[in-house]
Amino acid sequence: MSTANTMITSLPKEELRHRVNSTLGMVFFIGSWSMAFGTFFLAFMILRQRVGVWPPEGISLPSFPLAIVATSIMIASSVALHRAMKGLSAGTDRARRDWVLTIALGLGFAVVQGWLWLDLMAAGRHPTSGLYESLFYGLTWFHAAHVVCGLLGLLWAWIGLATGRYGTHRLSTVNNIAMFWHFVDVVWIILFLGFFVF
Amino acid sequence: MSGDHIHAEPTNFFRKHVFSVDHKVIAKQFLWFGLIWLGIGGLMAMIIRWQLANPGDPVPVIGSFLFPATDGVVDPATYNTLFTMHGTIMIFLGLTPLLIGCVGNWAIPLMIGARDMIFPTLNMLSFWSVFLGGAVGLYSLFVPMGASEAGWTGYPTLSTTVNGLGSGETLWAIAVFLIGASSIMGGINYLTTIIRLRAPGMSWGRLPLTIWGIFFTSILNVLFIPVIGSAMLLLIMDRVFGTTFYVPTSVMQGAGGGDPILYQHLFWIFGHPEVYILILPAWGIIGDLLSFFARKPAFGYRIQIAAMFAVTVMSAVVYGHHMFTTGISAMLGESFMLLTMIISVPAEILFFNWLHTLWKGNIRFTTPMLFSIGVIFVFGLGGLTGIYLATIGTDIFLHDTYFVVGHFHLTMAASALFAAFAGIYFWFPKMFGRMMNETLGKAHFWLTVIPLTTVFCLMFVMGYAGMPRRYYDHTSSEYLAALQHMNTAATHAAFILGAAQLIFVFNFLKSRWFGRPATDNPWEVGTLDWATPTPVPHYNFKVIPTVHTGPHEFSHPALGEDRDWISMTEPLPGAESDGPDLGGGAVPTPAS
Amino acid sequence: MRRLFHHLAGAGTRLWSTAFGVAALAALAEAQGGKRWGPTEAASDYGYRFYDLFWLITILCSVSFAIVCILILIPALRDRARPGHKAKFDHGASLKDKRVTTVVSASVFLVLDAWVLVIAMTDLREAWWNIPDEEEPGVYQVEVLAQQWAWSFRHQGADGEFGTADDIIQINELTVPTDTSVSFQMTSKDVIHSLFLPEMRTKRDANPGAINEMWFKAIRSGEFTILCAELCGFAHYQMHGKLHVLEGDQFESWHEDASRLGIAAFDTEDEEAQWAWKWE
Repeated sequence: MSTANTMITSLPKEELRHRVNSTLGMVFFIGSWSMAFGTFFLAFMILRQRVGVWPPEGISLPSFPLAIVATSIMIASSVALHRAMKGLSAGTDRARRDWVLTIALGLGFAVVQGWLWLDLMAAGRHPTSGLYESLFYGLTWFHAAHVVCGLLGLLWAWIGLATGRYGTHRLSTVNNIAMFWHFVDVVWIILFLGFFVF
Repeated sequence: MSGDHIHAEPTNFFRKHVFSVDHKVIAKQFLWFGLIWLGIGGLMAMIIRWQLANPGDPVPVIGSFLFPATDGVVDPATYNTLFTMHGTIMIFLGLTPLLIGCVGNWAIPLMIGARDMIFPTLNMLSFWSVFLGGAVGLYSLFVPMGASEAGWTGYPTLSTTVNGLGSGETLWAIAVFLIGASSIMGGINYLTTIIRLRAPGMSWGRLPLTIWGIFFTSILNVLFIPVIGSAMLLLIMDRVFGTTFYVPTSVMQGAGGGDPILYQHLFWIFGHPEVYILILPAWGIIGDLLSFFARKPAFGYRIQIAAMFAVTVMSAVVYGHHMFTTGISAMLGESFMLLTMIISVPAEILFFNWLHTLWKGNIRFTTPMLFSIGVIFVFGLGGLTGIYLATIGTDIFLHDTYFVVGHFHLTMAASALFAAFAGIYFWFPKMFGRMMNETLGKAHFWLTVIPLTTVFCLMFVMGYAGMPRRYYDHTSSEYLAALQHMNTAATHAAFILGAAQLIFVFNFLKSRWFGRPATDNPWEVGTLDWATPTPVPHYNFKVIPTVHTGPHEFSHPALGEDRDWISMTEPLPGAESDGPDLGGGAVPTPAS
Repeated sequence: MRRLFHHLAGAGTRLWSTAFGVAALAALAEAQGGKRWGPTEAASDYGYRFYDLFWLITILCSVSFAIVCILILIPALRDRARPGHKAKFDHGASLKDKRVTTVVSASVFLVLDAWVLVIAMTDLREAWWNIPDEEEPGVYQVEVLAQQWAWSFRHQGADGEFGTADDIIQINELTVPTDTSVSFQMTSKDVIHSLFLPEMRTKRDANPGAINEMWFKAIRSGEFTILCAELCGFAHYQMHGKLHVLEGDQFESWHEDASRLGIAAFDTEDEEAQWAWKWE
């Protein structure tokens, strides 16, 4: 009996209640974390506005092509995750494959992110180099920490899914992890827009 | 967990007493933790007062033990550490664990009719993070260059590269971060529990005001603790990785471009909601206790909630009143002044309702009641003095003087602390199955409120006279030396205040093990937490109760002559359907 | 009834004096044998505004607090629990109660806050934030550099420019003329400090990496106080100085002498001393 195959709406009342409780807690958590990232973004906006000329002249900037690649990978991983979640409720076999794809793309993002940093450091721009670098490294490190947590969560969920050890209680946790990953993606998009577009 | 089933009680010592997920155990952990840190913070205050009244003299008795390198004398750097850690400890490791960790954990499941918090493991983690934060803070006192010296506010550039040689400041920031994590976890837990686990019949309109206060506090915790978390991260990065978020160009060689005032904005966007985080539980608790001990309903229950809600919503938009002298624009300053004055209106409304709750009551002057009335008194003083600071014309002079110190001690140290004491005296019989001694409790109250009022009212005078705060020695300048007599008087009163707390410590410890055994409901109160046996079984309620009546139906005419209270599980006599739901609905009473 | 009044009077007096007796003594702003209970007399032209506003707020707050205390005392004495006595059952949720609550709160707000707010806004626009335009003649300009742990004040020399050889630099001392608007631009070399001139009733932070402005006009000559009002390290309490206000002609001669000394002491090699900026 694989309860992972159960559609949400057909869950017994007890499990539905558990799902609502778990999701509600997660919503507050995401709200809290939005404020944390929001503070970073607020600092970014205030400092940027103070400096006036942005980006500051004469410094090497992080690689735009790499950033585009990172963003595409991140969005793709969210799409894969979304498909995986739908697959879980419908009970398809593709669900597990999509989950692995999500993790693989997430790792890919981490690699490109690392490349972005190395590339910038090779150009001599370190966290101590000035305000732009402080903001770039600071924000991306904070984001990266959450990517790591998200990946660990996705991995843990996948192990449970792969071994079929999931009751519907655990499914709430899987749902929460998925919400977190999407959140991490949205934060990246805002980061990308802030540093590379506007 | 949620649901009707009852989990078996843990038998393993660690699972039962150390890493317990039972909210009642965790509440007691927060209680002991908070009281111990209150003691440490209080001792620091006594040393600070000693130094101020006797500049440069060795601290008696404990001086040579605490400060061996200077023969018992507090030197200026140590003095700065003392007031920094005093503030940090009292707020984050004293008041927060007591009012939110302990009272929240104890009262929420029991008062709403649940078996435990909705996320018990998260609850346990919340205690252990604050414990870890406290440990890091304690450790920071012993590092080579000493603990943080930049004030609990930690303004850069004093707290960044310029003073950045030691690890004390970084450890302080990490401690604050960990403690903040604990509050966020608690906030998420409390909100979800209150929303989802209320017993049948426990509608929003029947929730005790204590729960409402903690509910609003939790919203603020969830939203604004992350702000200081991030502000601390930026500070840590500046200190450890050499970034320049807060370090301006003129201070650094070459790089820079950051803004120290940015920190102040971020800090106070958190900092002002933080003071409401501390006072909202207090308002909730006394909203209930005044009703319980005046034996009549909480006057204007819905309006009290609306007032607390208004304060919650407005708390973040008044923060600039901490920054009037920093050079913010005139328009910004005036906006903050106006908003700060508006936010005082809900507090005025609460006063009106508290006083009206007392009016024509049948008042039982128990120790919890004395402390609750005490809150009205000290918060009145403290809150009114806020007007001087909200008004820029007077704030320009009074900012960073002792006037501010007097103001926030009366509103936080006195009001929030009195509410915490009220809560402890009130719930002690249910928590520990014994009564605290009433005579000692009353002595504790009077010997606290009188010296406390003296100390902090003296500070209003000192501030008016122009005495700046955070000064190691006021006698070094002629202008301030003429005010030294007030320092001496305040220190004497402070020592009495400090000594009076020993009465509480003695009473608490003695009653914990040797107090008179308590009945199940010694205060004759109808809320669900008192409808349990004492000691409360690990599952709280064998059968989840159904609620039929509001929490404040004291002296209801339908109750007759022989009792003035009714349990929330009992319908009001003669009521065709369930009793009042929103604190004022139609009730079949003979008169009016 | 008479007993009640007697109780009230006694208790009320005690409460009043405990809470405000000490504060009331602050009205005695004179030194009594080296002991002071309040600030020394204001010495700036807008200084009276602080005093007026402070005492207006005090009177309003005292009245409010007295009312609160009385409203605690009356039930405390009259409504004590005793056999046969019952509380009045009232949720306070009737329309009349809600109206009264609203009216009372609005009145308190209007009397306490709005009244004070209007006066404060006027004071700010007319005094503290009404920084004199640099183009105005007769405004005396001073640049302030705060550092751990001293105040440096720079005056223009006879040439009317900052950053030249005839500048006057004073450390922990500031000499200004009476009846002249003194305008400050201030910054810090290291951490945040705050220039507090208690007798002039003004204060402004000195932030590193930014320039803040402040002004005052002294109405009498004498020796006054300079204090630091933002925690700046372990010698924060030692960062005080003397403000000398001299009558017109006395000031002129001081300025002349000091300027001459400034030229003599001027050293192009000393980079530390070249901290002046062009007046913004």
